[in-house]
Amino acid sequence: MFVSRSMTRKVITVDSETPVIEAQELMADNSIRHLPVVDQNQQLVGIVTDRDIRSALPYNYLKDTCSEEQREQFCALPVKDIMTKDPLAISPTYTIQDALLLIQNSKVGALPVVDDNRRLEGIISVRDLLRAFINVLGIGEPGTLLCIIVKEEVGQLKKIVDAITAENVSFGSVLVARYWEEDKRAVFIYLLTQNVAHVKKKLDSLGFTLLDPMEWYLDQLPTNESSPEKKLTIDPP
Amino acid sequence: MKKTGFLYDERYQLHLTGDYHPEMPDRLPCIYRGIQEAGLLSRLIHIKARRADMKWIEMVHDGRYIMRFEAACLSGKSMFDSPDNQVCYDTYEAALLAVGGILDVVSRVMEGDLDNAFCAVRPPGHHAEVNKAMGFCYFNNVAIAARYLQNQWGIERVGIIDFDVHHGNGTQHIFEQDSTVFYYSIHEHPSFAYPGTGREFEIGNNSGHGFTKNSPVLPGQGDDEYKRLMQKDLIPAFDEFKPEVILVSVGFDAHADDDMSDMKLSTAGFSWIMQRIVELGRQHSKGRIISVLEGGYSLERLPELAANHVEILLNA
Repeated sequence: MFVSRSMTRKVITVDSETPVIEAQELMADNSIRHLPVVDQNQQLVGIVTDRDIRSALPYNYLKDTCSEEQREQFCALPVKDIMTKDPLAISPTYTIQDALLLIQNSKVGALPVVDDNRRLEGIISVRDLLRAFINVLGIGEPGTLLCIIVKEEVGQLKKIVDAITAENVSFGSVLVARYWEEDKRAVFIYLLTQNVAHVKKKLDSLGFTLLDPMEWYLDQLPTNESSPEKKLTIDPP
Repeated sequence: MKKTGFLYDERYQLHLTGDYHPEMPDRLPCIYRGIQEAGLLSRLIHIKARRADMKWIEMVHDGRYIMRFEAACLSGKSMFDSPDNQVCYDTYEAALLAVGGILDVVSRVMEGDLDNAFCAVRPPGHHAEVNKAMGFCYFNNVAIAARYLQNQWGIERVGIIDFDVHHGNGTQHIFEQDSTVFYYSIHEHPSFAYPGTGREFEIGNNSGHGFTKNSPVLPGQGDDEYKRLMQKDLIPAFDEFKPEVILVSVGFDAHADDDMSDMKLSTAGFSWIMQRIVELGRQHSKGRIISVLEGGYSLERLPELAANHVEILLNA
């Protein structure tokens, strides 16, 4: 699950003297929101986001009422004046999990991926991570999702898998989520079949509880909202 | 009273699906019995199946796929493409008879011998893709009928309404780039039910943009939600599209007593849906409505649901 497998390799970059206005066009034309800034050696020196550009635009520029002088001034502005210098970057051997946690904690939308000499190798964005999880969830392959509530004890999943395997039904994915009730787990099984009525009856006869689909959730805000987020101590390369 | 055709043939029961399979041959005699016991059989024009001309199937399906399907059946395989799709020696023949019977019905409607019709066929079709069998379906019956209407009968705009509880992925994919066939489907929300497509934002691509419409329904909903969604999504869309012929993918599996879904439609709810479709047909399609069976697995409910369905067509 290395980042190198999921990142975008053909990265669109700019150098630090590129006018902001040009960077904005590049982003719009390519539907992207992050532009790594590199030097002649492809070494990462900064990153500029669409939000950086929007904050730098004079208000009347947007309103189309700014003076010629203001316009010229803005057109001459290079990205180095608004970019984040020496941004957080990760190595290609970081895992998807590292990237997920780091993106969540640092509240950035993308992480440049660099080698030991900080030369740019790729970029991984929230969008790349979403794609990976759409794949893991098996959405896109035809099937039916069921949710089974089990006691948190060894061997529950085996019973479920055995029962379903005996019916000659294949699994698209299995997710075990925390169910916000003590000692319980919610097992989401994605079955590659339309023929679920029989499987449901069988699970029911084995004493499993199938949760009403309207009660399903993969994530819920913790009851104690003030609990501090766990701090990560991953050092960027 | 309308001249309503009823496509029914015992050879559709030759397609055997093995134990514990909901798409079983008994579904059809249940439907027949329901119509008979309601005293409607003699009012219908009974049509027997005939084999389809391969050129019409090839307008939708890949030639190699058709050969693969035929080979799987004739070589004695018990499944095709997925364990969902149980096959036997006669499955290929039954599928050919399903398509052929429907195309014959289409011709009779176009010639004016019939006003409308209900085709009680097996195997069903709306999950079948161009080159893949899925969800108990092998040939996409309704899609082939739409192409036949266009190529044999010069129909320009075909409207397809699919109220099977599962989204008709095959039909949608076949026509999603096509502005001459409008596909509307109402079904259980794809995050909770097979096959996982048919989200609200799937509205067609390229020149077909805006000619596909999906109304996903959340689990546990029934008549009220179906009525609300069809009035909001289907009726305005068809009033604008003005289909010259309406094909209906009829599934009875959204019924509260059908354990293939979490939907809670009542028997009366199904009648309401069909009455709206008949009204659309009257307004835009000279009453030309051809309904084709897809799912519906409750042997207790199929008789009454089928009887009500044909009665509405007879009184259209």
